Amino acid sequence: MARSSSGNSHDKHPVPKFLRGWILPALLLLLWWLAVKFNWSTSPLLVPVDKVWDTAVAQFRSGELGIALEASLRRDLIGFAIGVGAGLAFGIALGLSRLFERLIGPTFHTLKQISLFAWIPLLSVWFGLGDPAKVAFLSLAAFFPVVLNTFEGIRSVPAELVEAARVLKFNRRQWLFKLILPAASPSIFSGIHLALIYAWLATLGAEYLLVSGKGIGNTMIDGRELFLMDLVIFGVIVVGFVGFALNWLAARLERRLLAWRGRSVAQF
Amino acid sequence: MSAQQAVLELRSSASSASAATLLTTSAAAPVLAQKPRTRFYSSWSPRWLALPFPLFLLLLWYAAAQFEWVAPQVLPSPQSVLLTFVDLVASGEMFDNLKISLLRVLLGFGVGLAGGLLLGVAMGLSPVFKDYVYPLFKAFSQVPVLGWLPLLMLLVGIDEALKIILISKAALVPIALNTYKGIENVPARYVEVARVLKFSRWQLLTRVIFPAALPPIWNGVRYGFTHAWLALVVVELLASSEGLGYMIVFGRQLFQLDVVMAAVVVVGAVGYVLDRGLARVEIVLLGWRRSGF
Amino acid sequence: MTPDRRTVLKQLAAGGAGIGAAMLGLQARAAGKPAIIRIGVAQPGIGNPPQFSGSSAAVANAKGWVEEEFKADGIKVEWFFFKGAGPAVNEALSNKQLDFAFQGDLPSIVAKSAGLKTRLVLATGVRSNIYLAVPPDSPIQSVKDLRGKRVAIFKGTNAQLPINRVLEANGLQERDLRAINLDQATTLAALSTKDIDAAFGNINLLRLRDKNAARIVYSSKGGSPIFTTQSHVLVTEEFAQQYPEITARVVKTFVKTSKWASDEVNREEVLHLWAKAGTPYEHWREDYDGQPLRVRINPNFDPFLVARYKDSVEQAYRLKLSRSKFDVDQWIDQRYLNAALKELKLETYWPIFQVNGKILGT
Repeated sequence: MARSSSGNSHDKHPVPKFLRGWILPALLLLLWWLAVKFNWSTSPLLVPVDKVWDTAVAQFRSGELGIALEASLRRDLIGFAIGVGAGLAFGIALGLSRLFERLIGPTFHTLKQISLFAWIPLLSVWFGLGDPAKVAFLSLAAFFPVVLNTFEGIRSVPAELVEAARVLKFNRRQWLFKLILPAASPSIFSGIHLALIYAWLATLGAEYLLVSGKGIGNTMIDGRELFLMDLVIFGVIVVGFVGFALNWLAARLERRLLAWRGRSVAQF
Repeated sequence: MSAQQAVLELRSSASSASAATLLTTSAAAPVLAQKPRTRFYSSWSPRWLALPFPLFLLLLWYAAAQFEWVAPQVLPSPQSVLLTFVDLVASGEMFDNLKISLLRVLLGFGVGLAGGLLLGVAMGLSPVFKDYVYPLFKAFSQVPVLGWLPLLMLLVGIDEALKIILISKAALVPIALNTYKGIENVPARYVEVARVLKFSRWQLLTRVIFPAALPPIWNGVRYGFTHAWLALVVVELLASSEGLGYMIVFGRQLFQLDVVMAAVVVVGAVGYVLDRGLARVEIVLLGWRRSGF
Repeated sequence: MTPDRRTVLKQLAAGGAGIGAAMLGLQARAAGKPAIIRIGVAQPGIGNPPQFSGSSAAVANAKGWVEEEFKADGIKVEWFFFKGAGPAVNEALSNKQLDFAFQGDLPSIVAKSAGLKTRLVLATGVRSNIYLAVPPDSPIQSVKDLRGKRVAIFKGTNAQLPINRVLEANGLQERDLRAINLDQATTLAALSTKDIDAAFGNINLLRLRDKNAARIVYSSKGGSPIFTTQSHVLVTEEFAQQYPEITARVVKTFVKTSKWASDEVNREEVLHLWAKAGTPYEHWREDYDGQPLRVRINPNFDPFLVARYKDSVEQAYRLKLSRSKFDVDQWIDQRYLNAALKELKLETYWPIFQVNGKILGT
């Protein structure tokens, strides 16, 4: 699948590329509108589209949306950075050192199965009640996927390449930067991508599980508590959209950094 | 000519590219089922090395409880957790809850696995499909369970169906993502070799793409399982009256953290065992891969 | 060194010592005061910044009177809100992250029996109503019809015991129902989708009634106060021992707030203040209709309340919710309350409820 922006010679599809992503959401919106118009459900959980729009405008105008988003995003990015950094270090250690893997590996694989929810009491002890605890929670969420994928990526470095490097008498630095990291990079980036997703989910989870404060998750939660479904749906859309935007940024970066690999699978 | 010969030809014709970009195409011939080579570093890593670290943690836990570094209500001592655990097992409560949770996870994981693989393969092989679906998929995967709950409750109620759907969503996301990425990241050179060898589409798929994508796909499967297991607590938090997640949540609500810890230990242990099972399967599936480390 | 330099140095040293002593003196004075007072609230807290409702404590928070009281001393006041309600507050108390807490009876009882060292200092949010809601077309007409039905109960909160009492009064036990543990938000949603047959809850159930998604078939309003929920403000023993005057002043501020909020003149303002946290004004008005404010915004630990708490301790132990029993009279520290009442001359301002629920003198 050459992701080249030029040359859609294999692309005989009628709908232009940049529009395609919008079709399904548009269909969903239509479905929603129809469901309300024709009363497919009498449940108060089904809110008219325009009501949600009004709520959205109100939130935007009052500046509440901005405050909430800023708080959530700030926490997300800090926790994400910490989690990824720690995860890379830990993952590389696991991948390169058999000893380390033997010592810590099984414990790690057990801990990763335990829901972050169970960590909360201990997190509250060490990090207090406010933002630091939420950031710690977030970092944990980002930490695990990065470690696993980094570890996997390093293990997948083919033996032949290692041989070649040995033959070429790579020094330590070259080992890391010319062999290991490039070969493992697709896996590592997958891991970071997953970490981004889970960090955002954990941001919202933290707002639910830890002390109330500012954040877009709280907007959704308030909506649920007060049974204001328009607020909930508004929150859902914003959350999905922000997550999507974060992912899109990450994908662009990934594409640039992995361009040297070349891909060509579905070009047939 | 045979695949092997083509591989050798390609290798020798690789020119100025540095060694790091010399991608071996041995993976294009997965039929060679060789045992993984011994690790790069010396093999001084006997089995028992797995023990010291957990023992150290246990000791730390015991000391923390003994010297009350953490309030006993928040971190109960290992002894009290053990006693509570024995109680729960004796009363049958532990086993009942375990059974229910396990069933939920397996069902949810099964659904998520099927869905995730299908979605990932479709997105990986068809760029058009991916263009339509991926943006929405990305947005969906970023909305937490809490956001979906009202809509899902409207559609399926609060019974088992809800929990299984939520668990399958947790499994589906990493599986689909890793599958898609795995297929997308199959290096161009592999496909070129296949083209040179005039592979049919079927051969391309089964001999080149899927084997090459299998490590990340399997990684995604393991993730999917882990997340299905993790989702259990969140799902049982929201609308349940039994299960290990329920024990964790309810124990916390009643300030009986020893019940919580007992359940957490069981969750960790069972999860670990199942994960190891998947790791074994991985060795069988990916045995042909010769890792450098 | 030259004499000049020596003199200068001596002067500097003297000056330095002087400043040091002054600082130490400041420290010594400040040792009698905390830098910050941390109050935990066992409610989610709606909005940015979070607010809550339904009690004199909520009024104090909304009006900022506690902050005002301590501004001159330079002591900050911070309020913390917990979606996990009472149980989450307990964890924070264990970790010594809170000094005061507003909680319902059951969570505090559970914590105390688990060894948490707290003292009750003020009653607030007492005699709050519980409601039973069903879908509009449901055949259920009263609590008696609940046998075998799926009923949502938010366990671990202060509604659990009154709910059990109501069930017992109607000849039912919890195991005669199919009880599901749901939090408030999920309860509202589940009731509207008819996934549960009935739900016990608080004033927030009225919201569904307004949207025609539910019918209220039972309310503790108008009935015996035995079926109402009770809450209080407590203080950690550590804080109270270290800063007894601060504790007394906090209690006094709450008592003053209670007096203001009990004044019928301020009724509308109080109800509107609570409405800011999300529950509509109309619901509050309905819930408080026919009752003088003083009955509910009552800081006293009168005999009725003390009996309720003793009963709750027994019940919690019986239902295996708590693991030990303790002496409620020891637990309630009336000193601060009595001192405040005396100082403000409010000893007879509020009705004293006797054990049977009737007001003293009626």
